[in-house]
Amino acid sequence: MNLKRFYSILVVAAFVLPSMASASEEGVELKHANINVADKEQINRGLDVFTNICMGCHSAKYVTYKDLMDYPEIGISREKVDQLRNDKPLTAGLITDLSPEDATVSYGKVPPDLSVIANARRGGANYIYSVLTGFEHDPNGKIPDGNYNKYFPGNRIAMPDPLGYLDHDPAETANLEKQAQDVAAFLTFISDPHQNQRRAIGVYVMGFLLVLTLVLYLLKREVWKDVKH
Amino acid sequence: MTDQADQSRRNFLYVAAGGLGAVAAGAAVVPFVASMLPAADTLAASKTEFDVGTVAAGQLVVIQWQGKPVFVTNRTPEFLKEVDGHDDMLKDPDSRHIPEVSAAWMDTPEKRKYRSIKPEYLVVVASCTHLGCIPLYKPTAGRKDWGDSVPENWPGGWHCPCHGSLYDISARVIKGSPAPDNLHLMPYKYLTETKVLIG
Amino acid sequence: MLQKMMQTRLFGWVDERLGLGDIIRSQMTEYPVPKNLNYMWNFGSLALLVLTLQILTGIFLAMYYKPSAELTYGHYTVAFDSVERIMRDVNFGWLIRYMHAVGASAFFVVVYMHIGRGLYYGSYKGPRELLWIIGVVILLIMQGAAFFGYLLPWGQMSFWGATVITNLFGAVPVIGDFLSQLLRGGFSVGDPTLNRFFSLHYLFPLLLAAIVGGHIHALHTVHSNNPEGIDVHKESELINFHPYYTVKDAFGVGIFLLFYCYVIFFHPQMNGFFIEVDNYVPANNLQTPPHIAPVWYLTPWYTILRSFESKLLGVIAMGASLAILFVLPFLDRSKVRSARYRPVYRQMVILFFIDVITLGYCGHSAPTPALKLVGQIATAYYFLFFVSLLFVHKFEKTKPLPEGI
Repeated sequence: MNLKRFYSILVVAAFVLPSMASASEEGVELKHANINVADKEQINRGLDVFTNICMGCHSAKYVTYKDLMDYPEIGISREKVDQLRNDKPLTAGLITDLSPEDATVSYGKVPPDLSVIANARRGGANYIYSVLTGFEHDPNGKIPDGNYNKYFPGNRIAMPDPLGYLDHDPAETANLEKQAQDVAAFLTFISDPHQNQRRAIGVYVMGFLLVLTLVLYLLKREVWKDVKH
Repeated sequence: MTDQADQSRRNFLYVAAGGLGAVAAGAAVVPFVASMLPAADTLAASKTEFDVGTVAAGQLVVIQWQGKPVFVTNRTPEFLKEVDGHDDMLKDPDSRHIPEVSAAWMDTPEKRKYRSIKPEYLVVVASCTHLGCIPLYKPTAGRKDWGDSVPENWPGGWHCPCHGSLYDISARVIKGSPAPDNLHLMPYKYLTETKVLIG
Repeated sequence: MLQKMMQTRLFGWVDERLGLGDIIRSQMTEYPVPKNLNYMWNFGSLALLVLTLQILTGIFLAMYYKPSAELTYGHYTVAFDSVERIMRDVNFGWLIRYMHAVGASAFFVVVYMHIGRGLYYGSYKGPRELLWIIGVVILLIMQGAAFFGYLLPWGQMSFWGATVITNLFGAVPVIGDFLSQLLRGGFSVGDPTLNRFFSLHYLFPLLLAAIVGGHIHALHTVHSNNPEGIDVHKESELINFHPYYTVKDAFGVGIFLLFYCYVIFFHPQMNGFFIEVDNYVPANNLQTPPHIAPVWYLTPWYTILRSFESKLLGVIAMGASLAILFVLPFLDRSKVRSARYRPVYRQMVILFFIDVITLGYCGHSAPTPALKLVGQIATAYYFLFFVSLLFVHKFEKTKPLPEGI
């Protein structure tokens, strides 16, 4: 009937259009990163990759050394934090020692802060994982080795191959991909550090609302018995 | 179904809906109230580390702890002598009136007197217990250095400029002051020989 | 239950001094509503709920948000930092911010459904012209509030969205520069813009609350339309708002909260539809993101703007597309309200809904020649719909209206 048709149009529109929109976005298809933002071990391995490699140039200024102890998904010890931070205060963010001026001289630009990078790039963890393992020889031979990345928009990337993926020993492939996924898990976690808590609370909220809505439905039906059609 | 049964079913549903609605509203209040409490970064800044070795003998330094001023003084042996001999002038010589002026480590009469873990370094909250002004440091005894801003039998200590409260060199309030209590202590401990963690 | 409460002595005491009993009786327990309203009539009360949630969450966010474009480490700004502090350090800050961000989109979902219902069932027609016009004012203020609010996180989309929209005003002949400088408080979007947008973002919802009061007053003067679109006078066809529509609205609130909370707790960014990916990149006035589009609820109007080669024409068309809503009650000359009894109008209005969704899709996507053409056709139909209402009644054979509901 009228109303049903009206609803069906809106429902179809609401579900079909967003998927059409995302399907129409250009670029190569990203690799799927196998990550779990509730996996403490993976996040900790990712933290090691981050502090050992990424932090040479990148910062994550919204994450403090104290957060590394306090977030249950990371939860490293005070001793390890003291090792990482040297003489920096506990409340300082994870900030690289590379100054923005030096970075500009070396790479032509300041490397972006990675605190919210998983939210700031289409594809999130998949994008991070793909770019880290996307260093190849340019098939057209135009972009020099180390600057060509299959997954980076425009393919020319200023970041030098951080994991040494280009021309790596094939025996190392699994290890490098694991590192890339681990750091993708870490970065996805810190982009929204309360996400696990959020989902956990959400389950209870949804359960409660289902009961509430059911009771309201029964009440509505009961009260409307008075009305003769 | 009879009318009677209908009515009780309806009442039950009203009460159930009202009750669940009240629970929902109550639960919704929690995050809003919680959001007004100190945030995690504010709490993280609630501890202050300070090296008391940087305070020269006889000097006073005002540092910040939780946004509040804190006095750290390095009392010379002469200043430490000023602690004795005027207990009759004090409102609370043993710091027992309220919990805030005492501490667990005050286990000997000596420590009660000096009000510090190490006698020379006194660490107290710098807010006058009257209305919260910061008292002025007037450590030497008598009126020689201070004129008539202090009484004739001045033992040395602090003078609050706002309403004239007086404290001795262990920050114990002197009778006749509008301030009710000694300057408050805050939890602190020595991490190393001279490094203290306040909070 | 309400009846029992109204018999207490305390209520009597208050009633004598406030006249509360009269208000409750005239506006709720004895306020007559047609008994045949369908669930499309739930969206009005939902809009009121979302407005309340937005104001409430906004007040708490404002306790921590700082409207300053001053640069901090890593190309961030004080404003961006304060939003991230809300997300990370403030207790339940993440929840309140996601409620607010998702709430903005939810507000438009609910209001667009509300407007669509009004169009379909002819609720804008006499004697409800002013009710409709006040509603259009509410829509415009909502769009303004949403636009101001989107600048506040000071991300790339915030910055470039504000740049594009303030530039629109620059297209106005003669006073264009004056207007855009008036909005920006400078020669480009910057710190003064952020400060005033924050001020206005706080002001507009208060205006909304006042105008919503007027909207409800107008409704209670002319009373609700109904799916049949006929005037209802018979006692047997009217029921009291309370308890019948209060419990029905409450059930609607339950359904709404299920959707709202599901998004908040499980997909707060809604794949970049509610919080766009590029808005996690701090604002950079030297680099435009590769593809910028407004948030989904403004995209239909954005397409209308883009459909014209001339900048001025685009701006005029976009303004006209909103302004034409004001005169809709006077364009439509048919005596029959509901689309149920207007076969031609019914096809037109359903096509209009599809048209607006198409406009929205075009505005969201990167412009291609094909999409541009689709957008232009959709724009043409958007205006054709309104203009043809002047003539449709002359040849439309309406179905016979029922005696009662």
